[in-house]
Amino acid sequence: MSEVRFRNPGWAGNTGEFDLNEADVRGTGYVGERALDGGHPSVSPSLPYMFVKKDPDAPLFEGPYRERFDKIRSRYPTARAALLPALNLAQELRGHISPETMDEVAGLLGLSDAYVRGVATFYTMYNKRPVGRFLIQVCTNISCNLCGADEVLAAFLEHTGTELGQTSSDGNFTVVEAECLAACGFPTCVQINSRYFEDVSADDVPAVLDRLKRELNRSF
Amino acid sequence: MADNGRKAETVTLTIDGREVTVPKGTSLLHAAESVGTEVPHYCYHPGLTAPAQCRICLVEVEGAPKLQPSCVTMAADGQVVHTDSPAAKRMRQGVLEFYLVNHPLDCPICDMSGECKLQDYVFDEGRERGRGREPKRVFGRDDFGGDVLYYGDRCVMCTRCVRFMDEVARDSRLTVVERGSRAVIDTFFDRGLEGASFAGNVVDICPVGALVSKDFLHKARAWDLDHTPSICPNCSHGCNIELHTRDNLVQRLKPRENQEVNGHWMCDYGRANYEWLNRPGRLEAPATGRGSDRRTADWKEALELLFGRLAAAEGDVALVGSARCSNEALAGLGALGDEMRGRTAQRVFRAPRAADEVPLPGFPLLVRRRDLVPNAHGAGLLGFQRCGDDGGEGGLDEVAAHGEVIIVLGDDLADQDGDFGANASLFVYLGTFESAAAGNADFVLPITTFAEEDGSFVNAQERVQRFQQGLRPPESARPAWLVLGALVAALRGEKTPDSAPEAFARLVAAHPAFEGLSWEAVGDAGVALGAEAAHG
Amino acid sequence: MAYPYRHDKETRVLSECFGDPAARTVAGWKAVGGYGGIARALEIGREATIEDVKASGLRGRGGAGFPTGLKWSFMPKTAARPHYLLCNADESEPGTFKDREIIRWTPHQLIEGCLVGSYAIGASHCYIYLRGEFFETTNVLARALEEAYAEGLVGSDILGSGVDIDITLHVGAGAYICGEETGLMSSLEGRRGEPRIKPPFPAAVGAFGMPSTINNVETLAAAAHIARHGGEWYRQWGTERSPGTKLFCVSGHVNKPGNYEFPLGFPLMELIEDVCGGIPAGNALKAVIPGGSSVPIMDAADCRGCTLCYEGVEAAGSMLGCASVIVMDETSDIVKQVRRMAHFYAHESCGQCTPCREGTTWATRILQRIEDGRGTEDDLDTLVQISEQMTGTTICVLSDSLAMPIISSIEKFREDYLALIRRGERVGAA
Repeated sequence: MSEVRFRNPGWAGNTGEFDLNEADVRGTGYVGERALDGGHPSVSPSLPYMFVKKDPDAPLFEGPYRERFDKIRSRYPTARAALLPALNLAQELRGHISPETMDEVAGLLGLSDAYVRGVATFYTMYNKRPVGRFLIQVCTNISCNLCGADEVLAAFLEHTGTELGQTSSDGNFTVVEAECLAACGFPTCVQINSRYFEDVSADDVPAVLDRLKRELNRSF
Repeated sequence: MADNGRKAETVTLTIDGREVTVPKGTSLLHAAESVGTEVPHYCYHPGLTAPAQCRICLVEVEGAPKLQPSCVTMAADGQVVHTDSPAAKRMRQGVLEFYLVNHPLDCPICDMSGECKLQDYVFDEGRERGRGREPKRVFGRDDFGGDVLYYGDRCVMCTRCVRFMDEVARDSRLTVVERGSRAVIDTFFDRGLEGASFAGNVVDICPVGALVSKDFLHKARAWDLDHTPSICPNCSHGCNIELHTRDNLVQRLKPRENQEVNGHWMCDYGRANYEWLNRPGRLEAPATGRGSDRRTADWKEALELLFGRLAAAEGDVALVGSARCSNEALAGLGALGDEMRGRTAQRVFRAPRAADEVPLPGFPLLVRRRDLVPNAHGAGLLGFQRCGDDGGEGGLDEVAAHGEVIIVLGDDLADQDGDFGANASLFVYLGTFESAAAGNADFVLPITTFAEEDGSFVNAQERVQRFQQGLRPPESARPAWLVLGALVAALRGEKTPDSAPEAFARLVAAHPAFEGLSWEAVGDAGVALGAEAAHG
Repeated sequence: MAYPYRHDKETRVLSECFGDPAARTVAGWKAVGGYGGIARALEIGREATIEDVKASGLRGRGGAGFPTGLKWSFMPKTAARPHYLLCNADESEPGTFKDREIIRWTPHQLIEGCLVGSYAIGASHCYIYLRGEFFETTNVLARALEEAYAEGLVGSDILGSGVDIDITLHVGAGAYICGEETGLMSSLEGRRGEPRIKPPFPAAVGAFGMPSTINNVETLAAAAHIARHGGEWYRQWGTERSPGTKLFCVSGHVNKPGNYEFPLGFPLMELIEDVCGGIPAGNALKAVIPGGSSVPIMDAADCRGCTLCYEGVEAAGSMLGCASVIVMDETSDIVKQVRRMAHFYAHESCGQCTPCREGTTWATRILQRIEDGRGTEDDLDTLVQISEQMTGTTICVLSDSLAMPIISSIEKFREDYLALIRRGERVGAA
């Protein structure tokens, strides 16, 4: 669109005018590894990862995850308030929220199964069906849309050979349309698992997908 | 309600130009109702919390920047409220249009048609013509289990049903699933309302045809139903109900509000058990004579014969009553025993009992009681002793073998065999159905069910409650209070009671537990025995 | 300069350390005076801190612009029940991307702001509600919070003051409506994120039924600076009614989009043409949405002379909102963009209130039909009327937020709609 803007898909906002590396921009150097047991209780309800490998049958709330859940529970005056963090935790492990998962979480928190279903279906980030190893969410809202988001979305669908919301036959990619991701100054913004890829143009899509394929063995 | 003897604080406001004084804490919706103005509403229900989300009850309050939801806006001194201003009407018309954008308009096949609040409000104030040109959203039908079907396309998403299950049944089996215009009411996948004890109420409180009863599905049109105030006959709590009848058949039972007894609710067990009121094969005519001597008679002949036998009878009397009978009938039976020359040796009734009570957690006054009959307490107060087992059977061995007078009222003796009363010198059977055990009866007299007569019960709270006649009885059946009252009057040489109120008045005179009560005081809402009001 | 989104004209208070990874640590934040705000607040006391914020004239940066000090003063003065501070980091208004920048570059700026706010309102627990998509951003904040706990800046007896303030990160799971304050409370409590009717107001009955105050990330970040420097200091910038500096999120058709910090009252056209390097390819300006997608669209004429403060944008017929300036050049398809916004609001409607649940979806479908060339002129009247029926009739303002762009776009860009409608008629006739 303009000669000033330089695109460097893979991380945020390199316009070619500065020399920060990806770890600096993402803050990964500062963050390091987040502990599976949730670390300090104050941050235990936050969600560190969306894993590449998803195990729909993983046991819930065992080992470090049990510790994390107990820390989460300690931060709220009611059990109900731990519902979103508990569902987040379940999805981190299993990749999606199945009816069985809703039932287990309901039992854990002493809530009704129907209630948990009502909450889980309210929030769009809970995948009600399994998704690919990489969940590619392309923002097509106004700011990105003005800068070609529809073409970016089409390119992801074309290069992954999928329909919107469907998972590619190799199980690697699910492409969905996202609402505004709050990165409007860096259009088009694409969230892939837990990372934002910004300033993505349609032409960049093959390179992004190549990078993801190389990263199939990374954890998130 | 919560009158502590002090004068409640009031506020005075103006609604549609009329000055209204209401207790402090009254919502604008109720304040308007108190002067006869119904403000349309869906999500608000007096038995539930108010989320103020349907947005059709908005009214104009002078000085407020926006229209205010009348269900949660409290009346205040000096307020000037317009429920019918151009802004309020425009808003209502707009909201109604939104409701209709995706509504299927399938009123011709909708059970709610005729009592549907969407139909009513649109008829009153809706746009003449819909502007929606887009294809309608389709959710289809969902079986919620139990007696409940859900038609998502008709749903106005008022969430009364969800709140009822959460707040009153405290059994959160319903929820809103998804959000925005994709939202529907649903259960947890295949787990539904089956086995729930109070879920039928969600059908009652649904303001449209989204939640309907499977039992009532396509059975009758609302406008063809007659509504009769009554009392649920299926347990001793005595929920206030309406009989909805058509073609002289009960089509369904619906709760009738009584905050002292059942609130707005009733249980599923009570609601579902009405078919026995429609059972065919009723006793059609009085009959006299045992075995091969049995022949039909008209009432005059039968009562004259019976009177002669009663007046002459010397022996002890065994009375079997029924807790399905009215106070008036049971009092009549007791009085008849008292007027006989012989001693009343037995005065019993039998009643099925459930193992447990089933309370409604969010409205703890309402309990499905163990006694699965409406008048066990009345029977007790009127001197009848319970006998038999929890199945409502047995316990009649002594009566069956009784050698003198047996009078059975309203108990069909289904568990008894043909030897029952074989030794009796006189056996009178007042009932609704032919019974093998009544083969030895000298007199078989057809009586009406509670649905076919006026009368009263005493519930487990010791509250006297009236019911009214909703069905036309079989040709020759008569109310038991009349049959027994005529015999007692003849024995005493007085006038036969000519109405249920008169029978009730005689009962009150004879039984101190009922002292001070009048038919009028009992009214439609009932009166607690011993309550101040009953004596005031 | 390491960080690209900078301009010499900026006044950088909140954004001073954007692009500097060293500022993420406690040490780095202290090096630029960080945690001086909470230290001073603890020294001068609660009431004086609230008075400072009142004096500063700081207005809520989440969109509504309500005076922050006044909001804080609504909280009960007694501590009979727990008080909560809820930090709204559910940034999801289309066009807005400032809070994420604050958090990922200067997490301690937010933590300090939360401490100041909590202390001022007597809250011993603060929940930071982050949108679920912010994995990376949340991780930075989580590490910073762990560090702050380790340094005794958060938790029991902060800075040796005897005051206890806990902070907990809470992440959402994808729902724009949780950025509405009562929707946020519902969500925090583990419910569907459905807004609640007011009254009762959060200061009386808020999260978990307790007195609560909800503040935006940028508001609390600014409060940290005000606590450090005093209220009058903040008034050196901005206008009488809009004091202080503000992050302007510029997106859309400009050469250098990004977050730029200016005193309120900065001229809109100077921001677009000078700071952001103008419109690509020398195209002409067509429209600007100045405050995130929920405000009326301005045409090029409205933009001339418009200053970016609450009263300035109002005078130009729109609202400052959260100062998210979406720029559209002459190539922009207004109808398509309005339809896309409508789709967003329909998707994000919680579905409680009828006008919003049905109106947003209906409007989207009409707009889609017009875009597809199957519209009629009557549709425009219907759209305007639907929009009016969605305005002021619901619990929260989500449907009002769609009504504004629809009504303003039909008013200002009617020809764009008519062109599509006429094209459709020709297609239909052929």
